[in-house]
Amino acid sequence: MFHWLEKHPFFFAVGVFVVIAFAGLIEIVPNFAQASRPVIGTTPYSTLEIAGRQAYIKNSCNACHSQLIRPFKSETDRYGHYSLSGEYAYDRPFLWGSKRTGPDLHRVGNYRTTEWHENHMKDPQAIVPTSIMPGYPWMFTTNADIDTAYAEQLTAAQFFGVPYNKPVPMKDGSTTVVKLGNSIAEAHAMALEEAKAVVANMKDQDVKDAVARGEIPEIVALIAYLNRLK
Amino acid sequence: MNFNEFAAYAYFFLIMFLVIGTYSYIYHLYKNRKDVTGVDYEDYSNMALKDDIDDAPVKSMSDDKEK
Amino acid sequence: MENRPLEYDYTVAKMFMLTTIVLGIVGMTIGVFIAFELAFPGLNTILGSGLAEYTNFSRLRPLHTDSVAFGFTVSGIFATWFYVGQRVLKVSMAESKFLMFVGKLQFWLYVIGVAAAVVTLFMGYTTSKEYAEFEWPIDIAIVIVWVLWGVSIFGLIGIRREKSLYISIWYYIATFLGVAMLYLFNNMEVPTMLATSPAGETNIGDWLHSISMYAGTNDALVQWWYGHNAVAFVFTVPIVAMIYYFLPKESGQAIYSYKLSLLSFWGLMFVYLWAGGHHLLFSTVPDWMQTMGSVFSVVLILPSWGSAINMLLTMKGEWQQVAASPLIKFMILASTFYMFSTLEGPIQAIKSVNAIAHFTDWIVGHVHDGTLGWVGFMIIAALYHMAPRVFKRELYSKSLMAAQFWIQTLGIVLYFTSMWIAGITQGMMWRAHDEFGNLAYSFIDTVDVLHPYYALRGTGGLLYLVGFFMFAYNIYKTMTAGRRVEESELQNASPMGA
Repeated sequence: MFHWLEKHPFFFAVGVFVVIAFAGLIEIVPNFAQASRPVIGTTPYSTLEIAGRQAYIKNSCNACHSQLIRPFKSETDRYGHYSLSGEYAYDRPFLWGSKRTGPDLHRVGNYRTTEWHENHMKDPQAIVPTSIMPGYPWMFTTNADIDTAYAEQLTAAQFFGVPYNKPVPMKDGSTTVVKLGNSIAEAHAMALEEAKAVVANMKDQDVKDAVARGEIPEIVALIAYLNRLK
Repeated sequence: MNFNEFAAYAYFFLIMFLVIGTYSYIYHLYKNRKDVTGVDYEDYSNMALKDDIDDAPVKSMSDDKEK
Repeated sequence: MENRPLEYDYTVAKMFMLTTIVLGIVGMTIGVFIAFELAFPGLNTILGSGLAEYTNFSRLRPLHTDSVAFGFTVSGIFATWFYVGQRVLKVSMAESKFLMFVGKLQFWLYVIGVAAAVVTLFMGYTTSKEYAEFEWPIDIAIVIVWVLWGVSIFGLIGIRREKSLYISIWYYIATFLGVAMLYLFNNMEVPTMLATSPAGETNIGDWLHSISMYAGTNDALVQWWYGHNAVAFVFTVPIVAMIYYFLPKESGQAIYSYKLSLLSFWGLMFVYLWAGGHHLLFSTVPDWMQTMGSVFSVVLILPSWGSAINMLLTMKGEWQQVAASPLIKFMILASTFYMFSTLEGPIQAIKSVNAIAHFTDWIVGHVHDGTLGWVGFMIIAALYHMAPRVFKRELYSKSLMAAQFWIQTLGIVLYFTSMWIAGITQGMMWRAHDEFGNLAYSFIDTVDVLHPYYALRGTGGLLYLVGFFMFAYNIYKTMTAGRRVEESELQNASPMGA
C-alpha cells in the first residue's frame, strides 16, 4: 500500500492532504460550533468607532499593542480584568496582537482620557519622555472614511447577523440599541454627532474647526474607538 | 448522538488509524530493505546524486510500460 | 532540435532567482531600518514629518514581514523548484511548451502581485492578520499564482522519466498543499462593497476593504492555525526540500538514511498542524486546545530533529568539506540553526515559559534565528549552488563568500542573543511585584531598559544585510564576469573545486 502511494503522485498528494488537514478538523471545527457568544454588556460598534478601528488597523497599531489581558496578577494589576472570549464577539478581524512593544490596550478606555490620547498621539514624547512610539500627526489632518465604516457595519449586519437596531442586554439588566443609519447621509450625520461629543474634550483648534465644518479627522474616530475599549 | 460525542468517536478512530498506519509503515520500511520493484530505499538518494538529464533513472517510467 | 542534445531549461529558475535577491534586499533593508527605529525613534520621521506616515514603524512592519516571507522566501522556493524539480524528475522544461508558458505566466503574475502588495501596504490597506495582511484582490492573485505553481509541479511530475518521487518532491508537494489550504481558510473575507444600505445604496465606501468571515476568538484561532503553519509550510517544509537536494549534491554524499527522511516527512506533516495553539496560551481559546498546542509543540522536536540529524550525519566522514567549502558551511550552519530553533520553539511553547516569553522580544529572536540562520542561509546556499550551473560560469569569488558567511553568522548571533536578553528581562519586569504586592515597574521602565539590546539587534541585522549585499554582488559578478565553464565540468565537482 505504502509503495503504491509513493508511485502515484495524485493519491500521494491526497494522502498528504488528509494528514495535514487532520489537526484543523479536530481543533477548529468543534469550536466553531459553539464559540463567540457576546458577553452581556458587549455592544456592536458604532459607525464612528468602526471608522476608528479601521484607522487603528490602517496604521497597524496591533503590530505593537496587544488587546488580550492574560489571567495573571501582574496583568490584571496593570491592565484590568482579564479578557473574556465573548468580549470579542463583534471583532472582525480580532486584534489581539502578538507583541507588546507598547502596553496592552484592551481596557485602555478605563484609564485614559480623550485629552490624554489627543496629546499622546500628536507627540508621544511630550507625555512619556522616553517613549519609543512614533507620533501620528497626520491623523489630525486626514479625514476618517465614514463611507467604508458604514459599509463594514452593513456587511456585519447583513452577512453575519450582528444585532444593529436591536436591543442588546447590558450588565445592569437594561437594554441598549446601537443604531445603524438607513443611508450614507444618515450614517454620516450619526457619526458627526458622536464626533462632536468627542471633540468637546479636545484642544486642537483645527480638529474642532473641521468637525464644526462637518468633517471627521481620523484622530476623532480613533479616540472614539479607544475610549470604547473597556 | 450529539456533535461532541460524534467528534470524540471520530477522533478516537482517526487516531487508531494513524497509529496503525505509522507503525506498519515503519515495519514496512525496515523489514523490507528493498521495495517491491527491487530497489533498495537507500538507492533513492541517487535520484539527487545522478540527476544529469542523460543519467539512467533509478527506476525508469519506461521500464514499466515494457512489462 | 534533433541534433541538439536535450538540456535542462532554467529560464524560469533564473527569473525567480532575480526576485529572490531583489525582494531579499528590499525586505531586509526595511527590517534593519525598523529595527533601528525601535532603538532610535527619531528615525520614524527621517524623511520629514510630511512623509512620516510612510516611514513609521507600524506602517513598515507588515512590509518587512511580507517581503521577506512572500518575497524573498517564496521566490527562493519557486527558484529552487524550477531547478530541482526538473533534475530529480529527469525531465526538462524545454520538453513542454505548455509548462514553460505556465512557469513564465506564474512569474509575471507574481511580480504584478508583489507590486500591488507593496503599494497597498504602504497606503495602509491591511487586514491586520499577520502574514495575511493583503486585501482580497491580492489574495485572489496569490491564489492564481499558487494554482499555476501547482500546475507546474504536477505537470512536470506527469511527464517525468524517474518513476519514484525524490524526498524533495514530497516536500514541495506538501508546501503546495499546505499553503493552499491554510491561505484559503485564513483569508475568507467578505468585501464590504457587497453590502446594501436600507436606502438601496450599493458599492459603498472603499472597494478594497473587506472584513473577516470569523469573529473574535474564532478569528484568532484560524489566524494562528494559519500563522504558525505558514511558518511550517513556508519556512520549514520547502527549506527541508532544498537541503535534501543541495547538501547531498554539493557534498557528493548520499543522504545518511533515506528511510529516516521518509519517516520524518510523515511525522512533520502530522504533528506541525497541531502546534498553532501555542500562540494562544492563556488567551480565551478553550484550554484543551492550548494544552494540545503546547504538547504537540514538544512532540514536534522528533520529526524536526529527524531531518536535521539526517542532514548532519550525511556529512559523516566528510567533515573536512565543511572546513574547505563555504557553501557547505552555509548548509551545515543552516541545519544547526534548524535544530536550535526547533528546540527553542518547544521550550517557549511550555506554558510556564510562555507566560514570560509571550509578547516579548524573545519571540522575535526565535523567529529570526530560524529565518536568518535556517531559511536565509539555506536559500543563499541553494542560489550559490545553482548560479554556476544555470549561468554556466564559475562562481566569482570564494573568499567573498567565506567573508559573507562569517559576517552574517556574527550578525545572527548578535541578533538572537540581544533578543533573548531583551525578552526575558522585559518579561520578568512586567511580572515583578514589590514587597507590598504592587507592580514594581511601570511599562515605560521596561521599555527604557531595552535600548542597548535594540541597538545591538539593529547592528546584528545590519551585518546580515551587508552580507546579503555581498551575496547579491557575488551572484551578479558570477553572471557577468565569471569564467565560462561547461555544464559537464560541474556535474560531480563542486563549483568550489572548479
